Amino acid sequence: MRRAAGIGLAAGAWIVRLVAVVLVIATFNFALVRAAPGDPAQVMAGQSGGADAKLLADLRAEYGLDQPYAVQLARHLGRVMTLDLGTSTQQRRPVLDLIRERLPATLLLTVTAFALALLLGSTLGVMAGLAAGSAADTAFTVVSLVLYAMPVFWLGLMLVLVFSVWLDWLPPFGYGTINARLGPWRQALDLLTYLAMPAASLGAIYLAIYARLMRAAIIEVAQQDFVKTARAKGLTATQIVVGHMLRNALVPVVTVAGMQAGALVGGAVVVETVFAWPGLGRLTFDALLQRDYPVMLGVFLILSVIVILFNLATDLAYRLIDPRMRARSA
Amino acid sequence: MDRRQFTGGLLAGAASLPLGAGRAAAQARGGTLNVIIQPEPPVLVTALNQQQPTLTLGGKIYESLLKYAPDLTPLPGMAQSWEIAPDGLTYTFRLFPGITFHDGTPMTAQDVVFSCMTLLMETHPRARNTFRRVAKAEAPDPLTVVFTLKEPFAPFLGSFDCTTAPIVPKHVYEGTDFRKNPLNDRAIGTGPFKLKEWVRGSHVHLVRHDGYYRKDEPHLDEIIYRVIPDAASRTLALENGTVQLAQWSDVEFYDIARLKARPNLAVTTTGYEYFAPLQWIEMNNRVAPMNDRRFRQAVMHALDREALAKRVYFGQAKVATGPVASRTKFYDANVRKYEYSLDKAKALLDEMGLKPGAGGKRVEIKFLVPPYGESYQRSAEFYRQSFARVGIDLVLEATDMAGWASRVGNWDYQMTMNLLYQLGDPALGVSRTYVTSNIVKGILFSNTQGYSNPEVDRLFDAAASAIDEKKRQELYTKVQQILVEDVPVAWTLEIEFPIIYDKAFKNVVTTAIGSHETFGAVTKS
Amino acid sequence: MDALKAFLRHPSGMAGLVLILAVLAVAACAPLLYPESPWEMVAMPFAPPGEDGMWLGADTLGRDVAAGIAHGARVSLLIGVASALAALVIGVTVGALAGYAGGGLDAALMRMTELFQTIPAFVLAILLVATFTPSLATIVATIGAVSWPPLARLTRAEFLRLRRREFVEAAICQGERTARVVFGHVLPNAVSPILVTASLTVASAILIESALSFLGLGDPNMMSWGFMVGSARSSIRQAWWASVFPGLAILLTVLAINLFGEGLSDVLNPRIARRRG
Repeated sequence: MRRAAGIGLAAGAWIVRLVAVVLVIATFNFALVRAAPGDPAQVMAGQSGGADAKLLADLRAEYGLDQPYAVQLARHLGRVMTLDLGTSTQQRRPVLDLIRERLPATLLLTVTAFALALLLGSTLGVMAGLAAGSAADTAFTVVSLVLYAMPVFWLGLMLVLVFSVWLDWLPPFGYGTINARLGPWRQALDLLTYLAMPAASLGAIYLAIYARLMRAAIIEVAQQDFVKTARAKGLTATQIVVGHMLRNALVPVVTVAGMQAGALVGGAVVVETVFAWPGLGRLTFDALLQRDYPVMLGVFLILSVIVILFNLATDLAYRLIDPRMRARSA
Repeated sequence: MDRRQFTGGLLAGAASLPLGAGRAAAQARGGTLNVIIQPEPPVLVTALNQQQPTLTLGGKIYESLLKYAPDLTPLPGMAQSWEIAPDGLTYTFRLFPGITFHDGTPMTAQDVVFSCMTLLMETHPRARNTFRRVAKAEAPDPLTVVFTLKEPFAPFLGSFDCTTAPIVPKHVYEGTDFRKNPLNDRAIGTGPFKLKEWVRGSHVHLVRHDGYYRKDEPHLDEIIYRVIPDAASRTLALENGTVQLAQWSDVEFYDIARLKARPNLAVTTTGYEYFAPLQWIEMNNRVAPMNDRRFRQAVMHALDREALAKRVYFGQAKVATGPVASRTKFYDANVRKYEYSLDKAKALLDEMGLKPGAGGKRVEIKFLVPPYGESYQRSAEFYRQSFARVGIDLVLEATDMAGWASRVGNWDYQMTMNLLYQLGDPALGVSRTYVTSNIVKGILFSNTQGYSNPEVDRLFDAAASAIDEKKRQELYTKVQQILVEDVPVAWTLEIEFPIIYDKAFKNVVTTAIGSHETFGAVTKS
Repeated sequence: MDALKAFLRHPSGMAGLVLILAVLAVAACAPLLYPESPWEMVAMPFAPPGEDGMWLGADTLGRDVAAGIAHGARVSLLIGVASALAALVIGVTVGALAGYAGGGLDAALMRMTELFQTIPAFVLAILLVATFTPSLATIVATIGAVSWPPLARLTRAEFLRLRRREFVEAAICQGERTARVVFGHVLPNAVSPILVTASLTVASAILIESALSFLGLGDPNMMSWGFMVGSARSSIRQAWWASVFPGLAILLTVLAINLFGEGLSDVLNPRIARRRG
């Protein structure tokens, strides 16, 4: 009971934090865009090949650009709290709709990359940790250091070069084969071929981080008494790892994963640009070139919210994994 | 009189052209055409938005009164014939019978009057430049439209292509807020294809308009426009056949040679005669040293434009000789030539007292790079290297689209580059850049560099209202000679954009607006 | 002295140092090796490595990739170090204020730091650079503005730890002025962990700069490695060399700084090294 209450309290604190962060970011966004040089009405009109004063005035009125800043800010915050993120000046559609269209692609990419990094990284880390000091362990350390230093966009390009240009195994860019009329399974498989390289390039750096953390944690845990006891009881290596060490070693991994959610999302922006992946990152980039204010603001806000939610998830996972935390709340 | 002969010639031309240029191929019916569209247009209503992708896609949905042959001669569109009164003031168009909108409503002369005089006047700057010259527009019967001009305007007949004067349904738009009309999403026009489905971020699906007035057309069953945001993916899609048509800057210039080598693909640079895109370096004539004509001439001499065409545009461009593109009416090649000569450039700079200082540097100029893609960026890098050789140091300034539009429109720049359409006639697409009356702060694609010459103003005015072709040629030749001497902007290249299509499709490029055309006549073999 | 000796015996740290010196040498010699501007179009577009006397090939405009890499080293190192310094100034100031003052100020500053750590830093960097137009100054300021939180947290932790130590308490009791206590006693003792983190910040700053330039948000007048990869991206099928080699340069430099930083960390403060794993 008390544990449930503890989690409830934590969730409450998280909601308060979420709202606070949304308000701060919304205000920051607003200030940033107003501090920018350039007039959004100009670009909306200018692109259609010339404009007169009346058209510019109409556009300013339509988007509230002629109101005092305080009024604009109050309106902006009010709208944000009701999940109204405004209308794209370029596409003339609600920003929330645009985000909703692009969100699945970004989630698919980031979640796949994260899962890949966590599973593969942990496995490799455990293996290296158990074989600490061996040649394989050294090779592992070198590879993880290189991955850690690799620019994500360059890794993506190198994958394209090798697997698309040279070997012709995977499609270089895109989000599913255009105009393919496939069944659901074939379609999923088709999408997977497009997902492989973006997910790998986004996940690589985290794979290296998690693997190194896991390796260190395994080495540290192996020194502790309960593992020595287990070994003395005659349990097999696998039993010890899965039953005793993994849970303890996962704690730092989950902590770091939570802290790096923001970086993961930031990396997704670059990866989406490299692979023409139609997610929020690509949307942000296109919006920036056209100075589409509402879209820029909306995407930044939503990405921040996603990161906070991810933090919340890792915080909960942390509570479930760490025996000390469980003991404390029990 | 010349005038009457001109009119008669037009009528004869109209009468001799049968309906539907593709009738010979009428047996080939059916088929799907997949086309690249990039970037995705914000709306499909060409009357409301005139970005290039909107025009490409909307051209299939919205039609106008005329079409134009590659030599810019008018051909029947929704108007089967037309007459110009001898005074050059009254234009009478006779529409084809049986034209219907995609919602089934008949299209009448009232729709034409409403579109040109009410809706386009508010939403379409290019159309406004033509229709503001109309004193009255009338529909004496459902198939006749009569425009009466305030004063003669020679290129009036050049303004009825589907990108300049798309006809929209009066019953949908009258009395509404045009830009917010909920039916904009349905894009109701009279063209051979109608909107079936638009999946944002993915594709736009057009299908045959069964009530189309040209009985054999359209030949194709459907056209699907595919949004492919990435340049390398676009080339790949053409190579592996997922799309069969690309236009404008869909394909990077250096990929074109590879596509040309494919036996199933045709690459043409025709179909851009109406636009004849002309690129130039824009210099703010108000700012020293660019206020000195000798400096601007030096810029012309300092630039190896042949090399620019080869290196940056991979041969898809031709050196420009002056303010009128070679594919546009009244072009005259007989003007001063600026050959590539560093010595001549340096001599001009020396003569104006701009001596080289430390490291050979004479002056530093900020160059605002237009954020419209890699070829602009590379051109700017090319200019910087070229000008450095004569002591002009360019400092590139990066910006976004809004920043560029706002700074150029408000004259807050030193040097930049620009690409403008010629629109078939100097009175429509050329004079706007040079006449004093078009120095208007805040408006892009006006005389933003601030060049002013009363003689040029007079010549452009006279040429616009003259009706006699020979007289117009004389005036435009004169004005080209003066402008090339003055160099208000440094003309660099006529960009020859390609249209790349699968050879299985015929009649793809038939008119001066190329891929913006209605495509009713396109067939698949 | 002991630390220096220990570092000399640290193999990966020394490897990093040697690599860094090599990159520095290339950066220093760039004007001698390639006296012409790296922007000069000296060959045919897409000339492959070895042709036209260019051992790393030419890019879309016929510019020498090797010259670009040599001159780009100056830009990448300059921006990396300058941004890390900017982050250092912000981070140490915030961390020192929070750690030394404690109480409400500490809580407020840490909330702010947390917020900055939560939001996607790279997205913020894109927003900032794009909004204030890319130039050397805006890029350095932006990278500084998104890279300071770890330095602030570290500084705060060090200050909290040192604040309670006898020699600091003694100095405060003797009535020394706060500035003197901070700069004379606390900061000197916190220098080594801060230095280690700052050196790693240089590496991440180089990565952020390269990613910004890759997206076209670099200073258009500076040949940087990220810009080279970005401008070669769409022509990767014609000229792989134009994107492979500049990327390798980024990778080696970042790797070198990371190795050096970790070696430094192992030698200077084993406590932190262990925590980082």
